[in-house]
Amino acid sequence: MSEERTLAELADAAGIPARTIRFYISRGLLAGPAKAGRGAIYTAKHLERLEKIKALQAQGRLLSEIAPLLDGTESARPGYLSSAWWQHAIAEDVVVWTRADASPWRQKQIRDAVDELAARLRREE
Amino acid sequence: MTTPACFAPLLAKTGEAVQLAMQRLWLGGQVLPAGARITVEHVFRSAEARPLEVIYSFPLPRDAALRRFRITGEGFEAHSELRQTEAAVKAYEEGLAQGSLSTLARQYGDGLINLTVGNIRPGEDVTVHLELLAGVELRDDGFRFRFPFTLAPAYHPRARAAVVTPGEGEMELPGDEFGDVILPPFREDASALHQVGFELSVAGAPETDEVGSPSHAVRVKRESAGGSRVALAAEKDIPNRDLVLDVHYQQVAPKVLAGIGPDGKGHFAAIVPSTSFGGKTEAPRRLVILLDRSGSMQGAPITQAAKAIDACLAALAETDTFGLVAFADQAESCDTRLLPGTRENRQRAHGFLQAVKAYGGTELLLGFRKAVELLERGGGDVLILTDGQVAGTERILAEARAANTRLHCLGIGSASQDRFLALLARETGGVSRFVTPSERVDLPAVDLFASIGRPVASGLKAQGNIQPEPPVTVFSGTPVLLFGEEESAADSRIELSWDGGGALNLPLSFAGGDSGETVWLLQGARLITDWESRYPSVEALAPLEKRRQSRAGARLRDLSETYGLASREMSLVAVVKRAGDRTGDLPVTRVVPVGMPRDTRFDAYFHAPGKVTGAFAPCPPPLHSMASAPMAQSAPSAMPPSGRSLVSRLGAAIFRGNASSGHDEPALPSPSPTHDDELLALASAMDSDGGMPGKNPEARAAATVVVLFAFLAQGHTPSKGAFRSHVGRLLAFLQSLGGLPAPKQKLAEAALAAARKGKAPAGEWLALARTTGDHWSAIAQAMG
Repeated sequence: MSEERTLAELADAAGIPARTIRFYISRGLLAGPAKAGRGAIYTAKHLERLEKIKALQAQGRLLSEIAPLLDGTESARPGYLSSAWWQHAIAEDVVVWTRADASPWRQKQIRDAVDELAARLRREE
Repeated sequence: MTTPACFAPLLAKTGEAVQLAMQRLWLGGQVLPAGARITVEHVFRSAEARPLEVIYSFPLPRDAALRRFRITGEGFEAHSELRQTEAAVKAYEEGLAQGSLSTLARQYGDGLINLTVGNIRPGEDVTVHLELLAGVELRDDGFRFRFPFTLAPAYHPRARAAVVTPGEGEMELPGDEFGDVILPPFREDASALHQVGFELSVAGAPETDEVGSPSHAVRVKRESAGGSRVALAAEKDIPNRDLVLDVHYQQVAPKVLAGIGPDGKGHFAAIVPSTSFGGKTEAPRRLVILLDRSGSMQGAPITQAAKAIDACLAALAETDTFGLVAFADQAESCDTRLLPGTRENRQRAHGFLQAVKAYGGTELLLGFRKAVELLERGGGDVLILTDGQVAGTERILAEARAANTRLHCLGIGSASQDRFLALLARETGGVSRFVTPSERVDLPAVDLFASIGRPVASGLKAQGNIQPEPPVTVFSGTPVLLFGEEESAADSRIELSWDGGGALNLPLSFAGGDSGETVWLLQGARLITDWESRYPSVEALAPLEKRRQSRAGARLRDLSETYGLASREMSLVAVVKRAGDRTGDLPVTRVVPVGMPRDTRFDAYFHAPGKVTGAFAPCPPPLHSMASAPMAQSAPSAMPPSGRSLVSRLGAAIFRGNASSGHDEPALPSPSPTHDDELLALASAMDSDGGMPGKNPEARAAATVVVLFAFLAQGHTPSKGAFRSHVGRLLAFLQSLGGLPAPKQKLAEAALAAARKGKAPAGEWLALARTTGDHWSAIAQAMG
């Protein structure tokens, strides 16, 4: 398979619809075609970048977080700007801190994870 | 009329011009008692230097389907084709690659639509006129039509959201469940967004005595044919809430819309009010009230809902049993079993409600499971008060159907999840109402409560070709809507029968009727909506070969082809070839932002800068950033006992923390109490035997007569008004009275006789009900 692809071929190879790829390009997540206009082509780098975007999305990253991560302008480790934290003492020797102002679904994920950790520690005691 | 000024919105704070890909959204068409046939005009303009691809996302109204669109611009006009979704997407992409103006209207789960218009040239105006069919919320005395001018963010456990720029949030849904749907950016301030408006014809209702809107200021003009034209009073509005139109009839009576359809057959829609079916049964109620206490319910909705629940419970007899569950991303119950409707148990429920704070996500299934658990599969009803702002509704609907428990829904919100809640109620055999936060939530809740639990008819059957099947159970206040067809256009009858020997015949005439095509299309939209709700995302997103095995998929393709309406299986596409199309130009893609629903707090969904909301952030916070550190558990000895979730223990602490971290509910204004407020307070004060409290039987009897007259004077009778259940119980209490001194017994009986006629004697009964003391003299005076 040639490394040069049309947008449709790139979409097939990445398993991402062409409209979504155009959306990524417009958001600056992905570079435009290597050759524009009639016979526009996309290279292996485009495919590689799309695979990275998919992987980061699978980790729960938003598109707005992904661009700076891919460009290396921001650390993969999230920043901590919250002024309020919760302290969950889940074992005699374990305290977990969690942000108090996270979104509802994030709070649920965190609390499920804390619950799971507490249960696991209990089992292993 | 559009003027250059309409195309130049300014940012209120800075005065800078805002460049909008979509300029205007205008609603026109016809609203009928059985549904609406409307056209939505979307005006796009490109301010880009390159070709533009624009994506506009919107939710379908209830029982709605897209029919077709027309796309117009300078020197061209084209019409959409209905194709299988894969073929439509392919046609769109090929058209786009060739430089042609391409448009695709595609439906996703939850009734979300992406309207995508590609290759709008720089400076060009393009208008998409999209025709759709939509249902209405039916009531015996009228109907309510809702159209979504914005899209509310919705809770999903795997959705991601963040603030991307100040005042603008983004949300993404998991692709494995929602496909490539693109959600709009949500603006906290909608004032600089596209303009919206409407001008609708409310047709075929000469008896209509009132047309109004609780959501928008409207102009209503009577038309000679007996209908009305309803238009936005202002020149334009902003997209931060649904349009809600109410139509109230003077007379409650069956309505039939009929005519010859495009297939030459007779088509009809019949609306049969619940009053046609008879009286309520008197079996004890088994009821669980489910209160959504998620973050998006903060403020007036949850406060009003709690007050309404107090009043609803006061209408229960001691032989009735109830449960009370509050849910967000956890569900808590007032008790582990159903409780008799005694005063003590109501007080307990009141205490439970007082402790409820709105916070967290909307795990509706958790709450629902808890409610079903309380009913112990012994039958009964669930009444849910929610804004319904959840995504992934097909999964919830599947579980609700399987639970075999009737769900009644009171939806609260200014941006519609009307479609989902209407389906949730209908698919489980219940009824639903939807209110806007600018209306009272408590009275509709009391009204819905009065309707449910004791049906007016069960085992309903309809003869002939009626689709979909009529509801098995009919509840007071909610009519039955039937869609059907007859092979010939000859006069005929609609025949209904129900348990206990009930029967009803309605004459059916197609001659002169002009509604044949419209009711046929409304039937198609309703059938498609029903099947969409049975189409799990995992099946809907599978490759075509696999989808061919899906019963729901096959049925949807069949329905789409029969009625010419779009569904998740079939989409609308148009490609316009124009002179000067340039192959291969890559358009710039823009997504049209929408306004946050005006009653939903932006920070209920969008928190903190985007960079801090990653899915997996295993590192503990640095200690220096801990401005506050409330303890969820103060000591290791407080480890959660086995069998009880730590999360459930943390929940309470997080409530407290919420208040301390700046997310308190806004203080409610405290206006003077209205008559309805006073009636609500009186209803809540009723004893479980149906009488009012008092120091002795004589005082109780007098207080009950006064309160009964207060309700009657405000128009609430045993069969009419939101407090009809309460009035019925007050009457029953007076009827059961005995042992009073003879003069007072006689007065009570006279009062009872007067009340049975549905009218109170002249008097300031509400004012009197506020006071304590001996009311017998006032009663004696009124009774002559």
